[in-house]
Amino acid sequence: MSETAFTAKNITKTFPGVTALEDVALTLQHGSIHALLGENGAGKSTLIKVMTGVYRPDSGAMVLAGEPFEPHNTRDAIAKGIGVVHQERNLIPRFSIAENIFLEELSPHPLRHIDYPKLYRDARRWLEMLDIDAQPATPVDQLSVAKMQLVEIAKALSLNSRILLLDEPTASLTPHETDTLFAILRRLRDEGVSLIFVSHKLEEVQEICDQVTVLRDGRNACESRPLEDLDRQSIVRLMIGRSEQIPDWSSRDRTSEALALELDDVSTKLGHENIDLKVHEGEIVGLYGLVGAGRSELAKAILGKYEITGGALKLGGEPVQIRDVADAVGRYRIGYVSEDRKSEGLVLIHSVLENVGMTVWQRLVQGIGFLGRKKIRRHTEPFIRKLDVRTPSLEQSVGNLSGGNQQKVSVAKWLAAEVRILIVDEPSVGIDIKTKAYLHQLIRDLSNNGTALILITSDMPEMIALADRIVVMNDYRLKGEITNTRVYKDMSERIMELIQDETSPMSGARSAE
Amino acid sequence: MSLMVSPDRADEGAGAARDTGEAPERELGPNAPLRFLLSNEFGLIILIILFAVIFSTLSPAFLSKFSLYALGRNAAVNIMIGFSMMVVIITGGLNLSVGSIGVTSAMFGGWLMQALGVPWVLGLLGGLAMGAALGAINGVIIVRSGLHSFIITLATMSIFFGVMIFLTQAESYREISPTLAGFGRLKILSVLSPLLVTSVVVGIALSVLFRFTALGREMLASGANPHAAELSGIRVERMISYCHMLSGMLAALAGLMLVSRTGAAIPSMAGQLGQDWLLPAFLGPVLGGTLLTGGRVSVLGTLLGAFLVTMLTSGLLLMQVGAFWVQTYLGLLLLAAVLLDLARRSYLAQRKLV
Amino acid sequence: MRKVWQSDWFGPFAITLLAIVIVGVANPSFLSPFNIQILLLAISVNAMIAFSQMIIIAIGQMNLSVGAIGGLAAISFGGMMEVWGIPWPIAAILALMIGLLAGIANGAFVAFTGISAFVITLASLSVFKGINLGITEAQPFYKVPETVKALGNETFLHPLPWLVIPAVLVAVLLWYMLFRLPLGRNILAVGGNTHAAELSGISVPQIVTVAHAISGFLAALAGIMLVGRLQLGQPTIGDDWLILSFAAPVIGGAILTGGKVSVAGTFLGVAIVAIITQVLVLFNIDPFLVQVVLGGLILWAVGMNRWREVRAERQAVAAGT
Repeated sequence: MSETAFTAKNITKTFPGVTALEDVALTLQHGSIHALLGENGAGKSTLIKVMTGVYRPDSGAMVLAGEPFEPHNTRDAIAKGIGVVHQERNLIPRFSIAENIFLEELSPHPLRHIDYPKLYRDARRWLEMLDIDAQPATPVDQLSVAKMQLVEIAKALSLNSRILLLDEPTASLTPHETDTLFAILRRLRDEGVSLIFVSHKLEEVQEICDQVTVLRDGRNACESRPLEDLDRQSIVRLMIGRSEQIPDWSSRDRTSEALALELDDVSTKLGHENIDLKVHEGEIVGLYGLVGAGRSELAKAILGKYEITGGALKLGGEPVQIRDVADAVGRYRIGYVSEDRKSEGLVLIHSVLENVGMTVWQRLVQGIGFLGRKKIRRHTEPFIRKLDVRTPSLEQSVGNLSGGNQQKVSVAKWLAAEVRILIVDEPSVGIDIKTKAYLHQLIRDLSNNGTALILITSDMPEMIALADRIVVMNDYRLKGEITNTRVYKDMSERIMELIQDETSPMSGARSAE
Repeated sequence: MSLMVSPDRADEGAGAARDTGEAPERELGPNAPLRFLLSNEFGLIILIILFAVIFSTLSPAFLSKFSLYALGRNAAVNIMIGFSMMVVIITGGLNLSVGSIGVTSAMFGGWLMQALGVPWVLGLLGGLAMGAALGAINGVIIVRSGLHSFIITLATMSIFFGVMIFLTQAESYREISPTLAGFGRLKILSVLSPLLVTSVVVGIALSVLFRFTALGREMLASGANPHAAELSGIRVERMISYCHMLSGMLAALAGLMLVSRTGAAIPSMAGQLGQDWLLPAFLGPVLGGTLLTGGRVSVLGTLLGAFLVTMLTSGLLLMQVGAFWVQTYLGLLLLAAVLLDLARRSYLAQRKLV
Repeated sequence: MRKVWQSDWFGPFAITLLAIVIVGVANPSFLSPFNIQILLLAISVNAMIAFSQMIIIAIGQMNLSVGAIGGLAAISFGGMMEVWGIPWPIAAILALMIGLLAGIANGAFVAFTGISAFVITLASLSVFKGINLGITEAQPFYKVPETVKALGNETFLHPLPWLVIPAVLVAVLLWYMLFRLPLGRNILAVGGNTHAAELSGISVPQIVTVAHAISGFLAALAGIMLVGRLQLGQPTIGDDWLILSFAAPVIGGAILTGGKVSVAGTFLGVAIVAIITQVLVLFNIDPFLVQVVLGGLILWAVGMNRWREVRAERQAVAAGT
């Protein structure tokens, strides 16, 4: 038996103009749950892609169960023993649990009758092992997300995977489901299964993992260290390379300014309830929460995409009925920088000019009228310059720009729209440090000029640097609100407390689980 | 169902972890003139000239005044049919009912002129209005149901045609306005058909729409990325409906042009259920470089593409290929066109010239 | 018992039953053996057409060339018998091979170029139709052997016509393949979630090609059956197949994005269309309206399917199974 389950050494991967991974290493022991951490853009996803055969590394070597491991493609990687459970589900919706688990081996020959009773019997074993409360013949699209995930784990294990890689497994799970999952993972570990656990939730990592590898800027910040040696501060320091340094921005109190936006006991069609939120002019209100808390959804409800079913949305003190997004943008000057810039923020096949102008075409002509490039350019170019978008020409397809410049374009279009209220959702995901700092300064400047901002981010340092007040959300409800003292330790603790607090009055009647 | 070319796996490098914040300027191609030379439109112009030379060498009659006139007149209708499909393609969808709408609108116009004795102007306007209305029906159903335009327009293709045939009892209108019929036979400088001029004028109007109006830009954005467009304040559903309405109107115009050319409104002018228009409706835009995935348009390309196809058809006929084999060649042409376009675009993408 | 209620074929089945009862009561000649024979003849051929599209819907694509392939096979069948004097069983097999090859060509192009099935089959539809016209010059082949004519119209067990046999056989085989054999499950997997199927080692290009091959084969079979039925090698065979080929599977509950089709549902969809068509004739309603009805049925069916999907989704989320 080999000494380690999996080893990666000296892994380097570059793309034109970018070094994604440099000399990265990771060693996974048998019977271990190994955390892989790193900020967005640190190289985590590239390393995962190398491990799962999506990319071939430029140099370096991997060893799986004692054998050299050089997968040609994803399929090859799976066949050689890497079991992966991705964030997005990879199941055939209308097939049963049993069929999904055994999809590769439904029968010895494509034209040989499938023995369904046997399939169901075999599947039942896995269901019992993973404590999944469902019948093997149930179509998976009738299952909850948590159960679907367990089915995928069963599938990966059934393929005699040597190691199991879980990518953000708790992203869509309730705390209770997370506990169930962790119990199963611990049991697997005790039985000798080796797992790599990729997550951005440090609390969970500390709860369940025994070793950790942290990537930062494409390199190892630490490699396969026992987790018990590290406390939270140390981990964070490894991830961002400095103890939380907040730029020298003074605390501000803008609560005496006019109210730009107010949500008064708002509930939405998506399940938000009792949302009370106030944003003053010139203020940055942070909306903190874990993935799945309902923040982006709330933002989109404000934007008019989802229906507000109760309470009042007030702009400038007056209750308004926003009919749709066009109404919110055109009439009420609300803007939203989406967290998913490639599919929601930008039209990748269109040019920089076309993208930045999208929000203002209507306004520039008032209905039917001629709108030449010159006019659009005259209006939008100042904002493109202001954001220092690096592009050889305004006609360049946005899809060809770097991530940071793409993000700048998606912000520029809201500046061009001269919004009064701007909601910024996860602005620094996949962005280089320089652009990140730039955007932070921009957000600060915008608020100084009177724009009301809501900042949604899971990046604690970013939140504490920028927000004047921080509102904590969980499970589509508000958990609490704190004024930002800009003292990191203090703020981060208070925020964590609010998130984990299940007996907070705002959570309503919820039985302890 | 996937109507799009499968995603290009080659560009997964775009998800790189750490990037330097600078556009990779080195990789970008040279200037506008080269881009034009490699563009679809220029390629089509070359092909048109090439085939003109080939055909005229093989058969001098090809360049005769009458032959050119007929070519222009036939091309005019194909161009219009191509435009009709093109404006729906930019939304990333399809309109299988172009033929149906074209025939129904033309028959409606014919009915107005013959049965009601209405002057030709009103007959034309009536036909166009019918086209717009039918297109709007398509648009509304598609937008409201969220179902794919393929199956919706497949159904409406049948419904529109069925109602039309039922109402007309498959009878033609042969006594339509003499002005209209005359228009179709007019010769400008003995080579140019006013129908061709009409198509070109409409083409110019469409170009202006997409390049110089907010409406046109919003249509393109809605087709390229409806999510992003919606979140930027564009009324995507409205834009898609407008595109379908415009498509219906253009189809109606094509049908009316056919009426003008033949001098009569015949229910079978587009084949069973209007199916005969499907191939030209796609050939024009596809050859012209309008992406089937939506968001990009080339009006000039569609025009040149439709013209090339018409030229190839009449050239083949002149060469005694036999009318029955023409369709085979057109099918092969469509196949060749998409394959070439695929090759061209992946070449350009690799060189980051696009 | 609830499972039956919720299955795809129950709705169409109920409607079919209802329609038969109502029409039978209103016009007793509807249920006469002769009329049943006519109905079954139409249903048998149409079912084959519907199946040839259904298998492509299963992989989430569409085949616009079903009619053209059917027509090409039909005239090849007729032509081989009339012009080359080939005995009909061999001519039939050869014509089926033509359909198979046409399907393989479609599938290979789609699978290996990545160009959408829509465009490929639009192009191939023109090519096949063109070849058809080129060979026949729009003239039918009249010399069809008596046996073939008999098989296409007579009964083997009154009132069941011979043509029912291939229809039922194909239906059973398709059902068995799609729901009991890995090949069929792979086809549905590719339609249900292509990426997941790929990751599980299913060769998507291979499956796509196989599906198109089956589609071409079935289209050719339908064409041959029609030659028997019409007693002519008619070049226009296939011209009006497009709408029907989608209507029946969709009425039967098929989801156009792929991964969900019902053989029984499709068969019943064909039955419903055939009954409605007959009814229009029986009640002297203009036959031109058949087209309208077909279109309307499609709209209604896709709307219903969509509504059921949405509702099922909501129930799953709410139940949190």
